[in-house]
Amino acid sequence: MSEMIVSVKKLKKSFKGFKALEDVSFSVYKNDVFGFLGPNGAGKSTSLRCMLSLIEADDGHIEIFGKSLRKNRFEVLSNIGSIIEKPDFYKYLSAFKNLEIMARISGRQVSKSEIEDIIHFVGLEGREKSKFKTYSHGMKQRLGIAQALMHNPELIILDEPTTGLDPQGIVDIRELIIKLSKEQGKTVILSSHQLSEIEMIANRMVIINKGKSIIEGEVNELLNSSQMMVKFSSDDPKKFCSILTKEFSDIADLKVTDSEIEFEINRENIPEINSLMVGQNINISGIEQKRKLEDYFIKMIQNEK
Amino acid sequence: MLLKNTHNELIKILAKPRSYIGFIALTVLIGVILLAMKADGENFISFVTASFEQTLSFNGLILNGNLIAFIILQMLIIHVPLLVALVTGDLVSGEAAMGTLRMMGTKPISRNSFLLSKFLAGAIYTFFLTLWLAFLSLIVGQFMFGTGDLIVLNSDGLVIIPEYDIMWRYGLAFCLAYLSLLSIATMSICFSVFSDNSIGPIVSTMAVIILFTIIGSLDVSTFDYIQPFLITTHMASWRSLFEIPIPYDAIMDSIIILFVHIIGFTLLALWWFNKKDINT
Amino acid sequence: MKYILILIIGLFSGAYTAQNPAQDLLNKVVEKTSLVNDYSASVLIKPDVPMIKSLPVKAKIYFKKKDKFKVVSKSIAILPKQGFTDVNVFLSNPKNYMVVEAGAKVINNTTTRLLTVIANESSSEIILAKLYVHPKHYVILESEITTRNSGTVKVNYKYSSQLSYGLPSQIKFTVDVKEFKMPKSFSSNPHKVGSSKKSNRKTGVILLDISNYVVNQGISDAIFKN
Repeated sequence: MSEMIVSVKKLKKSFKGFKALEDVSFSVYKNDVFGFLGPNGAGKSTSLRCMLSLIEADDGHIEIFGKSLRKNRFEVLSNIGSIIEKPDFYKYLSAFKNLEIMARISGRQVSKSEIEDIIHFVGLEGREKSKFKTYSHGMKQRLGIAQALMHNPELIILDEPTTGLDPQGIVDIRELIIKLSKEQGKTVILSSHQLSEIEMIANRMVIINKGKSIIEGEVNELLNSSQMMVKFSSDDPKKFCSILTKEFSDIADLKVTDSEIEFEINRENIPEINSLMVGQNINISGIEQKRKLEDYFIKMIQNEK
Repeated sequence: MLLKNTHNELIKILAKPRSYIGFIALTVLIGVILLAMKADGENFISFVTASFEQTLSFNGLILNGNLIAFIILQMLIIHVPLLVALVTGDLVSGEAAMGTLRMMGTKPISRNSFLLSKFLAGAIYTFFLTLWLAFLSLIVGQFMFGTGDLIVLNSDGLVIIPEYDIMWRYGLAFCLAYLSLLSIATMSICFSVFSDNSIGPIVSTMAVIILFTIIGSLDVSTFDYIQPFLITTHMASWRSLFEIPIPYDAIMDSIIILFVHIIGFTLLALWWFNKKDINT
Repeated sequence: MKYILILIIGLFSGAYTAQNPAQDLLNKVVEKTSLVNDYSASVLIKPDVPMIKSLPVKAKIYFKKKDKFKVVSKSIAILPKQGFTDVNVFLSNPKNYMVVEAGAKVINNTTTRLLTVIANESSSEIILAKLYVHPKHYVILESEITTRNSGTVKVNYKYSSQLSYGLPSQIKFTVDVKEFKMPKSFSSNPHKVGSSKKSNRKTGVILLDISNYVVNQGISDAIFKN
């Protein structure tokens, strides 16, 4: 296993009695594109703010690059580039001036030519002298990424970077993140409330909900698990259930309604179940299948609404 | 990092349009006063000598640049702090409102350095505003009205200071005025740390100045204990430099009180800023 | 008979002379000062007036017959309202006043003759003047001038090189100074220096040391213009 870059253990934070974080723990390894997934209000931004010392956690421990954040703030933050929520800059300054200001306190020497290079890298050449207030949302996001990258950090933290972008913009950001990880060897922590987004680019992830870590692991393992949640639509659910439970012993989470039967089963058994029911003259009007974790995540979001 | 970020802060101050309001306001205000004095200054100053003119006559150049500068300082020393607070009150809370505080908070600069660089930039801005005030009131005033003895009215009567004895007094007076304005700047930056919106600290600073000025001017025994410690009481201490003899002890007391305010507000701001969660 | 006539004429002459000796003395004083057509001089003005703090001031004074007077000073010079020339102008016309001799006083080892001058016109600025005159040199050593609007001013004179013209080398004015009231906003002073030591003096002194007289050399009228 590669080197651990980030170790967050039992993070706790309350705001005026409200428990924003109760027990958040996860680990990030070198070259990971790490997905930090959770519904709105789960505590993602709060956790990231703690990692970037914007917020002081009430309890817990954060280690980055093997160093305690509390005791080595300068060294740690010098090697991190981040965007928390939307990228905000000084409206009355040009993009170039904004980057110069950030560069001056980035902890590393960043030359003017390096700033020009990064502006070119994020596709803003020709607009660097324009005032930030004239920028579109997509351009602001690009500038945010520029300031996160210009001092060549090892770790990049992006908080919902595709929010508000058009489809092309989303694709661009996705490709950029993959490029950063594969070509430049950066470690990226990417937070999102969209599972599909994490699934497309992350190799490892953690899901948090209501300030607690729920599950952490490789994306492939978590999302491509053979266990599926299947929903059959039938006109005779009772008979369906009776046959199902008789023939298959590894059914779990069985739920029956007037016209639907939902349960957890190994994906390989689904065609067999279908054939069996049809053979028993039970009409099947529909089959819906989701990965167990995806189903869990969707229910989490629905509960939050 | 402190100096680098001070450089950043100065760039930001210079780029903001509101930073120039103070300079423009001073230019217009002082310009109006100078023109008014040019038009009707003799009548204005006869008010100063009126009570003596039954028995005495005053000969020589009374209405001169030195007197004009004194009159201007007298009129504006309560108003100029508001112009300072307009910029310094926004230094932290403005960033919180804009969201840039969040961006800057993730950089490897300590919160102490970050905040102290704002104090330093605020102090530099205040210095240049004071310099501009000095230039317009004294230099332009002397250019328009010439130089001469300075006749000053205070609670004991008239003091006439010879021309050769004036400039060093003005030098120290503007230094004292700067110290007063710096204490206001510090106070407004401190208020700015406690707020996430741009207007609150500026209005709070103005409210404090107005309230303390009123308390300081009331002849009520209840306030006798607190008046000596109010920041606004000592903002007029520069006037004491135009006494004969100069009350150096009393001026030193004012300097100490103002410094205590400056240090107190700075420490309070640093304490809260280090404790504060940046949620904006 | 002849001797009786001479005696009678002598008595009448004596009587005529004895009728107004005060006026005669005053005429001699005025006559002396009228020898001066113009003069300029340097003056050091030292005010010592309650509620005014001021250092000595150097100035230049100019006079031209009959009442042109100018003080030229870059510094602010405080002088009595009642000027240098008011008394002389008043005394130059005997129709303005009535004068009687009212006694004597020793001033600087000289027994001076007191002349009391009373204005004839009710509208005159000078109401009453008490003049202590040197009997031999016909110069005023001390005066007390009561004016309509400026109160009473006491003046002491010393003479040296310009005694022949009756021009003093030192003049000391003692003036009435009323209590001064001013708006608080003008006088706000955080340190309130000296406010606990308010003076009870009702008079102030202005001392003028006059030197470098240039007499009757001609002075342009332009000097007296503002």
